[in-house]
Amino acid sequence: MSGAVGREPVFPTRQSLGLMKSKLKGAETGHSLLKRKSEALTKWTEITRRIDEAKRKMGRVMQIAAFSLAEVSYAVGGDIGYQVQESAKQARFRVRAKQENVSGVFLPQFESYTQEGVNDFALTGLGKGGQQIQRCRETYARAVETLVELASLQTAFLILDEVIKVVNRRVNAIEHVIIPRTENTIKYINSELDELDREEFYRLKKVSGKKQRDTAAADAEILAARKKQEAEEAAAGGSAPVKPEPEAEAADVLGENEDNDVIF
Amino acid sequence: MASNATYKDRQLLAVIGDEDSVTGLLLAGIGHVTEGADAQRNFLVVDSKTETSQIEQAFRNFTEERKDIAVLLINQHIAERIRHSVDTFADPFPAVLEIPSKDHPYDPEKDSVLKRVRRLFGE
Amino acid sequence: MEGLFFNTNGGFVEGVVRGYRNTLLTGQNYSNLVQCETIDDVKLQLGPAYGDFLAALPPNPSTSALAGKMTDKLVSEFRYLVAQSVGSTAKFLEYLTYGYMIDNIALLITGTLHERDTRELLERCHPLGWFETLPVLCVASNIEELYNSVLIETPLAPYFKGSLSHQDLDELNIEIVRNTLYKNYLEDFHNFVQTHPDFSGPTREIMSEILQFEADRRAINITLNSFGTELSKQERRKLYPEFGNLYPEGSLMLSRADDIEGVALAVSAVSDYKSFFDAVGLSQGGGGMGGMGGGPADGKSLEDLFYQKEMEMSKMVFTRQFTPAVVYAWMKLKEQEIRNVTWISECIAQNQKERIGNFISVF
Repeated sequence: MSGAVGREPVFPTRQSLGLMKSKLKGAETGHSLLKRKSEALTKWTEITRRIDEAKRKMGRVMQIAAFSLAEVSYAVGGDIGYQVQESAKQARFRVRAKQENVSGVFLPQFESYTQEGVNDFALTGLGKGGQQIQRCRETYARAVETLVELASLQTAFLILDEVIKVVNRRVNAIEHVIIPRTENTIKYINSELDELDREEFYRLKKVSGKKQRDTAAADAEILAARKKQEAEEAAAGGSAPVKPEPEAEAADVLGENEDNDVIF
Repeated sequence: MASNATYKDRQLLAVIGDEDSVTGLLLAGIGHVTEGADAQRNFLVVDSKTETSQIEQAFRNFTEERKDIAVLLINQHIAERIRHSVDTFADPFPAVLEIPSKDHPYDPEKDSVLKRVRRLFGE
Repeated sequence: MEGLFFNTNGGFVEGVVRGYRNTLLTGQNYSNLVQCETIDDVKLQLGPAYGDFLAALPPNPSTSALAGKMTDKLVSEFRYLVAQSVGSTAKFLEYLTYGYMIDNIALLITGTLHERDTRELLERCHPLGWFETLPVLCVASNIEELYNSVLIETPLAPYFKGSLSHQDLDELNIEIVRNTLYKNYLEDFHNFVQTHPDFSGPTREIMSEILQFEADRRAINITLNSFGTELSKQERRKLYPEFGNLYPEGSLMLSRADDIEGVALAVSAVSDYKSFFDAVGLSQGGGGMGGMGGGPADGKSLEDLFYQKEMEMSKMVFTRQFTPAVVYAWMKLKEQEIRNVTWISECIAQNQKERIGNFISVF
């Protein structure tokens, strides 16, 4: 599929080949790093299971809490809802946010704490049901702690989810676009360079072939001339010793023909 | 993170729920009424007479306008009534948490967040 | 002697109440109720006793709706009694409603203090504490107006006068206001039955016993619940009714009590209360108030024991004749019954059957 991703608009030179190679290397390193980050984060998405668990736990906890409220209405023998709503002034139960660093992602953590000295409902149920109200408050406070815990998990999940999506997008972009594209470019540059190489080689070969042919032609000429000479000499001297002559002749030939330049 | 300063101020919980849930949570001490002329409560009691638009408005108020709320608790059956708003609200702050109520047990199928969890795993 | 003339005016009412008493749920009914699987079953079981009143309920109603309908029946029966009674009996019945009125007015005071629309509160008011001029109180926009209209318009004026000013309504916690009113009410009620010439013999005896118990119960509860709050000992003492088995020595000791041991010591002069404290002693000794009522199904809380005692006293009232006190007893029994049924249906609705037996049945 490399055709689909195209290639970088570069000139196929050795310099850009070098550039592309380092780019590929960078992309691969980045890819493996991001991949590891994504894996690390995804491992963290086991919090989804914890969310699931916590949500179920919440169901139970809230049920117990609601039941303690039923106890209150049994003991008080009436409805305290309105009074409670009107007495609320200052939050006693608050949360504090802090951060936790998970693989470079800052996750908020809620931490519940109670503001001491604030008690809007101290006298509620003074006449009757006070003890049940007290117990109910404790039960609900515990329930809210669970809820806050769950809220932390949930917020962490939402942020992580977002980050993981971004990281995965990057991983995919590198894996499926940038790397193939760079590889493709390198391949292209290589093929262009090879083409040039081959051309060069062919040219050189052609040149050397021609050279050889010329040399061979020159040799043949010389040889013909020499034979002719020999024939002439043989015709003239007849019995003259032949043997030593070729040596001198040979040396002579070279020496004599030095001036004959070869023209291509 | 840029939101560092903004969420440090978020200390309160808010609740939209039926009378019993709100009463219980207030007993736990989450109730807060701001001082001054435009006193604002951080809770809303929803009964059969409450208009959906009122719930919407409270939801927007707690999630967008007020900057001191860290967690918004909402009864699931009430979240059902403004499901669209709840589903489209995706910011991490405040955390919107759907809680069961006395008469409506918790149904994980309807939870916005759990829906996202499922989507993540492609179930 | 009083028996001779009682029936002239009070006989019919007494007879009707005795009839009502027979419709109270019995142990048999309760054992059927606790085996129900759904609220609909509960509704079905209540059919013979409550009949038409439950007919309008939707299938599987909420427990609060169920309790509301049951209260409606109590209210309509009570209204019938009021309509049938004359003279001192009518006055006696009126006294019964004052307790609910106090709650209603406390509700309105709360609403007015927080500048809510008090008209919305009217439907939250207890119907037994309803009186014709109650809506008038909603006109009041500030606490002073409310105070004045309470003085003018309500039968509770004597309870306000002398012990609460309109500033008090503004400044004191509503619970203190409520308990002050209740104390005045109990004292007045007690005084009424003791001094009214129409009442004699059985009425005085019974009502004095019941009201003394009620007074003691309030004093003990207030003391227990005030630990750890800003309520000072002097203020606390002002809330104790000035009669009862504990008054005056026990009240004095209660007012000085700092912890549960102190309360137990203060009440030890009365054998009933002593045995209550002994019964729950283990569960609260170490854990303080948090441990109270937290025991398993068999461990009753102090409140439970008080309710139990109240029910037994109410049951005994029916052994007496020629007295409107049976109305009081019937109302208490009926209220307990509503609480019981609410409790049972709450347990069923929330699937918490382990503690379903935690109700009080005396028949």
